[in-house]
Amino acid sequence: MQTSFRRSLVLVALVMLVAVVVSACAATAPAGGTQTKVVEVTKVVEVTKIVKVQKQAEEVIPEGATVIDFWHAFGGGRKLLIERMVADYNYTHPGTYVHVENKGSYRDTLNAAILAAQQGNPPHIVQIFEIGSQLALDSGIFAPFEDSAPSWVHMDDLIGGVSNYYRFNGKFYSMPWNSSNPILYYNKDIFRAAGLDPENPPETFEEMLSACETIVSSGAAKNCISWPLHGWFFEQWMANMGAELADNGNGRDARATSVNLTSDAAKEIVTWWKEMYDKGYYAYSGKLEDWDGADAIFVSGQSAMEITSTSDVVNRQNDAAANGFELGTGYLPYPANSERMGVIVGGASMWMTAGHPDNEMKATADFITWFTNTENAIRWHKATGYFPIRKSSVTVLEGQDWFKRNPAYRAAFDQLLNTKDDNATRGAVIGAFPEVRTIIEQAVEKVLAGQTSVDDALAEAKTQADKAIVDYNKSVE
Amino acid sequence: MKLHMRRKTRNEIITHIVLIIIVFLVLAPVLFALAKSTQTRAEVYHFPPKLGPGTAGILNYKTVWYQFDLGLYIKNTLLVAGIVMFFKTLFSMTAGLGLVYFDFPFKEWVFYFILFTLMMPTEIMIVALFNLVSDIARQFGVENSYAVLTVPFLASATGVFLFRQHFSSIPADLADAARVDGAGPIRFLWSILIPMSWNTIAALALIQFIYMWNQYIWPLVIVRENKHQLIQVGLRSLTNQQDTTNWGLLMAAAILAMIPPMLVFILLQEQFTKGFALGREK
Amino acid sequence: MSTARFKGKWLPWLFLLPTLIILLVFLYYPVVQTFRLSFYRVAFLGLKTKFSGMENYLNLLHDTGYHQTIVSTVLVAMAVVIVGLGLSLLIAMIANQKIHGANIYRFLLIWPFALSPAVAGVVFLFMFSPGFGAVNYLTSVVTGHELNWLGEPKLAITLVIMASIWKNLGYNIVFYLAALQNVNTEVLEAASIDGANTWQRFWRVTFALLSPMTFFLLITNITYSFFDIFGMIDILTKGGPLDATNLMIYNLYRDAFEYYKTGLASAQSVILFLLVVGLTLIQFRTSGRQVYYGG
Repeated sequence: MQTSFRRSLVLVALVMLVAVVVSACAATAPAGGTQTKVVEVTKVVEVTKIVKVQKQAEEVIPEGATVIDFWHAFGGGRKLLIERMVADYNYTHPGTYVHVENKGSYRDTLNAAILAAQQGNPPHIVQIFEIGSQLALDSGIFAPFEDSAPSWVHMDDLIGGVSNYYRFNGKFYSMPWNSSNPILYYNKDIFRAAGLDPENPPETFEEMLSACETIVSSGAAKNCISWPLHGWFFEQWMANMGAELADNGNGRDARATSVNLTSDAAKEIVTWWKEMYDKGYYAYSGKLEDWDGADAIFVSGQSAMEITSTSDVVNRQNDAAANGFELGTGYLPYPANSERMGVIVGGASMWMTAGHPDNEMKATADFITWFTNTENAIRWHKATGYFPIRKSSVTVLEGQDWFKRNPAYRAAFDQLLNTKDDNATRGAVIGAFPEVRTIIEQAVEKVLAGQTSVDDALAEAKTQADKAIVDYNKSVE
Repeated sequence: MKLHMRRKTRNEIITHIVLIIIVFLVLAPVLFALAKSTQTRAEVYHFPPKLGPGTAGILNYKTVWYQFDLGLYIKNTLLVAGIVMFFKTLFSMTAGLGLVYFDFPFKEWVFYFILFTLMMPTEIMIVALFNLVSDIARQFGVENSYAVLTVPFLASATGVFLFRQHFSSIPADLADAARVDGAGPIRFLWSILIPMSWNTIAALALIQFIYMWNQYIWPLVIVRENKHQLIQVGLRSLTNQQDTTNWGLLMAAAILAMIPPMLVFILLQEQFTKGFALGREK
Repeated sequence: MSTARFKGKWLPWLFLLPTLIILLVFLYYPVVQTFRLSFYRVAFLGLKTKFSGMENYLNLLHDTGYHQTIVSTVLVAMAVVIVGLGLSLLIAMIANQKIHGANIYRFLLIWPFALSPAVAGVVFLFMFSPGFGAVNYLTSVVTGHELNWLGEPKLAITLVIMASIWKNLGYNIVFYLAALQNVNTEVLEAASIDGANTWQRFWRVTFALLSPMTFFLLITNITYSFFDIFGMIDILTKGGPLDATNLMIYNLYRDAFEYYKTGLASAQSVILFLLVVGLTLIQFRTSGRQVYYGG
């Protein structure tokens, strides 16, 4: 009796599994997809604002269209925004169909593209973070964008900071896209509670220390400030002090062969970082490159300030509204004894892979140009906080009094415009940069944990980073 | 006597209390995830943490299902797991049949050849496997991504081992009787072995389902297009990206990713423990 | 098995063919390739390969970071096996008592079987994050100071171990419960008549009878903590802080697919492979026989 019951249970299970498999097959079978599909829209759900959850439409690829694969690294709201923008392009360009996918983080996206190239089937467009530029150049799988770009691309329309970063040996190998740099966000309510001027955030390392003392000792917040333990901030501070990270003109005159991690500037940054940490002013999640962790500490009101990307302006404004505090923005702090040189353009650019048929190359370059044109640069800027990368976009925005009405966006933009152009603020170009960045992060981690002194940690990091660079250079020569 | 009874009840109450505490500790992380999966971003970031259900309700689930393609990933994984379960069980069974009911040269060696692969998890040779599968995929066209996710997993030392053990324990006269009836090995497999092997089949099916459901590193490196991606990597993509993570969505995704293996487990649990009792009970 | 029932020269090979081909192509061949690659320096994209002898191995030998990785891996594996199996056995024995509603308890205890390492990683990351993690908040209220679970090497490795044990709990309990139900109560009663106390009864009788199951769980838990743990590490700690949770499989992945050091990664694969073979052989020699050749 027992056994027959058990047997029937197993049978039921198997039947269910077969049914599931069959239905999954049926659902995926017509993926060739040249016929039209009905798009179902589920009902509108109300929360705090109206949020629509739409059933993703099955992809409808028009017959005979040139299909372009576009891979990017964005998730969350930005992923959905990109999908809407691409849908707009597909709607207005019947001959081309852009198929867009997100591939995880910047590092993941680069890896995925290289793995796909190894499989012999790279996507047409890959979004690659700024420090992957040299790696992308060396990989040999990309075609220089400038060579394929249509005449209406107008590269001279790009704002200075952006074109300075992405022009290598006088040429644009990729189309700059999302560009940002770090700024200071602060909680004005906590500033008021601590008795600080909510309109004057600290500007220098020294002011930061004294403001933090006031905030923490007054009990207005548990910690003073947070930012992710990320190499990007170290790189930015180096640039802000006018110090080059790599040799050979920051890798822009010739291939970089070593990093300047034992320079005074490097030591000053890490020493300050440690002082902030030891005094309990600086808090981070404990994980490397953990943007979410830093956001959480600031948004939940446990710290009064956060240093993070300008691209989070919209996210932070939403957070401030949802959690009921007033948000302010300021410049990235710098040491008082050095001049404020400015910041490097962070973010990523769009690379197109080589070896596709002519019509696909043409369509690819056309899409990239459209995606970064004046209107789309404005749309992208307003929806995220990334810079409007074209002068023409800035003119339009100014015509709308955009920056006057949105001071949070202005701090970010002014900081970029006030940057003095030299090899330090153009940013380092290093082939093994992704690995070097990790090495720097681990050195800071060691210092914060009190395992080694600042000097020793940086010296060791330099040895490791130089070896990584030499190994890398050997492998591509 | 009365005293004895009382002590017994007291012991039982203590056992109940201990078990309730243990169950709570084991369940707590998932209850926490469940509560958070219904919260909005602001509620998640509230300090001190809110532990009750939030106001986002079912919306988070709908959002991850449709807009972040969780539904697609779950469907893909069910398909891939189903294919692997079916063929792996079939191939293991026929291999067991060959090993138990036939005599042929180098039989022992063949068995050891199979058994030795127990020590070769995919993860160990991930680089070489990646190169190999990429080369093969390039030869045959790269479109069929389900093949690269299933074919390398269709053979199993565990499966062969289990079926060999199980078949060896089936009384010998049965096969003799079959032979007298004039039944060939395939009919023997179909009408005698399979009906007697449900526990083993269920055990293997469950192991394979969970194994495929949990695939992480292989789809991460080999799958090119998201439309073929599997659930664990899909879950990863909600936290590993260039934008702030929406924890409510992520928790909703985690809960969704738990449900299918749980259902399969509930269904096959009893057969599983019986079929996989490692020769301790037959 | 010595008496075969069917005749046929090619038939058995035909039955074995699918399994043999797949194992040969997708397991043996890549393993051989891995050995070969470990002696090469491979430029990223695999475009250029250059024979480099033992260079990759020597690099690993002199890399203190890699030594740390091996130590962490062994530490995590030992903790997951010893603490995890001990805890599971204890819970299984409590749940095995004849009380009302025992089946409900048993079900509630074994459902974590359905958890994947990635899900466990996501949930634990959320609970232990500073800022909004509930456990973090709780520990700071109770102890008065905040524990930095993701930033302190020792705490982070503890966190990984806790999450792993939690994830494996259901699996282990299922098997122990099944085995416990087969422990003959007569043997236990006989032992208690012989004057053995509770502890002796447990150790000499129950534990001895459970040892085949323990051996099986030993293998699966070690496999878990060497390989399957990847998904959890990738989500929970990314190998940090200070590489404290940079286990061998994670380091291998990073070198292979993030830094494109194919040769170096292959050398790590070979080391890992030899380690697994060694461990398995030791286990077979010490406790394995009864499982595979007994019953």
